[in-house]
Amino acid sequence: MKIVVCVKQVPGTSDAKIDPETKRIIREGVKSILNPFDLYAVEEAVLLRERFGGEVIALSMGPERASAVIREALSIGADRGVLLSDRAFGGSDTWATSYALARAVDTIGGVDLVICGKQAVDGDTAQVGPGIAAHLGFCQATYVADIRAVTPETITVQRMNEDGYDVCELAFPAVITVVKGINQPRVPSLRGVLAARAADVPVWKPADIAADLSKIGLDASPTRVVRTAPPEPRGGGTIHVAGSPVECASRLLEILQARELIQGGR
Amino acid sequence: MRITDADKPLFTNVWIIAETVGGAIQPVTYELIGAARGLADARGSRVAAIVVGGEADASLFAYGADIAIVVNGPEFVGFNDELECASLNHLIGKYKPEIVLCAATARGRALIPRAAVRTVSGLTADCTGLAIDPETGDLLQTRPAFGGNIMATIRASNHRPQMATVRPNVMKALPPDPTRKGETIREQPPDAGVTNAKRVIETVRGGESGVNLADAKVIVSGGRAMRGPEGFAMLKRLADKLGGAVGASRAAVDAGWIAYPHQVGQTGQTVQTALYIACGISGQIQHLVGMQSCGCIVAIDRNPDTPMMKLADIAVTGDLFEVVPALAEALG
Amino acid sequence: MREHIQNRRYHVEIVPPKQDSEKLDADLVQFAEKYRRVMASGYCACITDNAMGLLAFQGLETIEYLGLPVPPDQVMIHLNTFHTKPDLDFILSEGRRMGLRYLLAISGDGSDRLPKLQPADVGAEGVSSVTSVELLQYIRSAYPEYILGVAFNPYEPPDHEFAKMERKLAAGATFIVTQPIIARHPVVDELLRRYPAIPTVVEAWMTKKLYLLSDVVGYQIPEDTAYSPLDTLRKLHAWYPQCGVYLSLLGFKIQYPIIEKLWKNLPEATAS
Repeated sequence: MKIVVCVKQVPGTSDAKIDPETKRIIREGVKSILNPFDLYAVEEAVLLRERFGGEVIALSMGPERASAVIREALSIGADRGVLLSDRAFGGSDTWATSYALARAVDTIGGVDLVICGKQAVDGDTAQVGPGIAAHLGFCQATYVADIRAVTPETITVQRMNEDGYDVCELAFPAVITVVKGINQPRVPSLRGVLAARAADVPVWKPADIAADLSKIGLDASPTRVVRTAPPEPRGGGTIHVAGSPVECASRLLEILQARELIQGGR
Repeated sequence: MRITDADKPLFTNVWIIAETVGGAIQPVTYELIGAARGLADARGSRVAAIVVGGEADASLFAYGADIAIVVNGPEFVGFNDELECASLNHLIGKYKPEIVLCAATARGRALIPRAAVRTVSGLTADCTGLAIDPETGDLLQTRPAFGGNIMATIRASNHRPQMATVRPNVMKALPPDPTRKGETIREQPPDAGVTNAKRVIETVRGGESGVNLADAKVIVSGGRAMRGPEGFAMLKRLADKLGGAVGASRAAVDAGWIAYPHQVGQTGQTVQTALYIACGISGQIQHLVGMQSCGCIVAIDRNPDTPMMKLADIAVTGDLFEVVPALAEALG
Repeated sequence: MREHIQNRRYHVEIVPPKQDSEKLDADLVQFAEKYRRVMASGYCACITDNAMGLLAFQGLETIEYLGLPVPPDQVMIHLNTFHTKPDLDFILSEGRRMGLRYLLAISGDGSDRLPKLQPADVGAEGVSSVTSVELLQYIRSAYPEYILGVAFNPYEPPDHEFAKMERKLAAGATFIVTQPIIARHPVVDELLRRYPAIPTVVEAWMTKKLYLLSDVVGYQIPEDTAYSPLDTLRKLHAWYPQCGVYLSLLGFKIQYPIIEKLWKNLPEATAS
């Protein structure tokens, strides 16, 4: 089975702080990390290769330093990686990003399965997985929590939704996006990290994937951010409630009822 | 598709994709209609509810839709992304809506990006604000980015339709008016061979896997301080009285006290409920990014100095094992 | 472990390089230098296992990669419950192959990135999660050649902690390492009274940054609190002459030459 796993470099949050004024998270100066959900995608791809043979190719788009997340994928078992990196890709929204990634999948050739994390923690859109499927005309399943069966022609998955789950069979080629819990990603070994560090990660430009230049980058992106603003601060500061448990409960109830957040009570 | 300003008048009306589960129209559908109504009124156009793989009923009109367009048939078994997307795209090509709104549910988030790519439309996920730019008539879509750190306003001036998803409980449904009537149009699914690629074998509803945090109006959430599964049973009793759901921090899930579908935070669910009651959750950043966009945050903790207690709108200093039962008791 | 204490052999903690290190080569060199120095002193190198839930390389793979020797009495590996079953077995069988004898079995700190052993992995029944007790039971049955130690936390409610200690000892632990002790601690005194026959090692906090211990002791230690690690170490020897000492966050430049002589030059211990 030939599997492409899509990975993204995102800002980490472990060392982020909260701005006491706005009560929002300060993200400046934080480390870049592999999108946490993509780790499950990489692990699942490697597990499939271990069971059925084949090859796992880690694919990312981003600045040159994003090769770090490809190396992380290599360190836990991906066979090789490809980074799409060029000024022309800059400013891509999810439409243009999924187009470029789809072109890369097509260029790699003979791909049976594309695996993505369910979403990236920076954008939270969950659009790129289905977007790649749409560009390639592949079948798709999102929020996959289990792979139930694989045949030479099909993959059967369990996918989660708000009310439970369903089980569906997809004909290859297909795109799946996976949730946390589908597996336990392995921790890289020292030798794995050292080998990944030494690996050659080719950088592909638009011409390498035969990209239509009118479909990549900022100009090709249908959506445009026209304004960013700090969110409304959580106004009014914090109301402090203390006292006996019964006093706390009745005071809290009073406030919540006044704000029409709950009904009832006595 | 990509358009010029001259093409804009070709696209009219505001569509919402009805969310159905097992044939039943879900409440988020009426919230979408509520949002669409305001936009359509601002544009002097109409609201159409699109029901793919289900049936329309009078409630769609009562809540403010003018038209219902239904595509249904025996081939719609379970949620078939490819078939529903092909049906939707067929309708979009035929009717040329100006705006398409969809619920940011598991189904909506699978369906609409596929449709947006195929129709070359701009799509904005999880909008918390939707408005019409009075100058251009474009849809201004506001959404939290970076875990709620920034509010970004997004537009797709050169593409139609303009697509957006909205999480449940973010927009308000209008009061239903049972005397309102509308027109129902039936359309056929496209007969291309799109159904062959996927087969939905089994659909299972309920159980631990179906924790409906996204739909909840209230979440009562617990962390490591809950000490064990019994602590979460106590939160469940409070959540039941509030008509809410139980959430958890990663620490509690990792400890095995409550199942992963309850986890709120960066590697769990992102929630935007009106009320979030955090019990003994210190407030690691990874948790905060999953819930800081909630309307009102209540924290209950013995320690008044945790990040969560500082973030909270209402900080209750006390023993949660006493305060939570007292609150449940006070609710009667 | 008894011999370690009799021979005044310090336990010196060495942290393997972090997974996200941006200077991995330098970290590896430093690890090797520290390790060799501990070997040369005849002390016991204690290698942490993703301490504080921070992702680091495994001790054994680092030792193996660097081609460092493993004298059976001079290396102790921490092993926590945040591993996959295959990883756990790999560590234990590699350790066996390399001649490792001492293991410190701890529950450990998790993180989003670290898998947690499940009860079924270690053949535990009737428990909802794997603690050091289940880990000990598994190692004792599957890898009986190891000498197993456990942690003791005097800052937890004592009844609870002593009940846990009973279970740990029943599960096969034969020595104890405490959390860092910065003053004579009544709960440690009680531990030594209860288990006079179990070799016990007290942890000495060797950095001046005492506030880093806030989470361990359960109250906020101000950042500017004055603290002398070496004075405290000397006092620990006086308070607990029957115990071994585990040195955490030891400075190798200035502190190491001092501690190399410190214990050896103390007068003959008389157990209090």
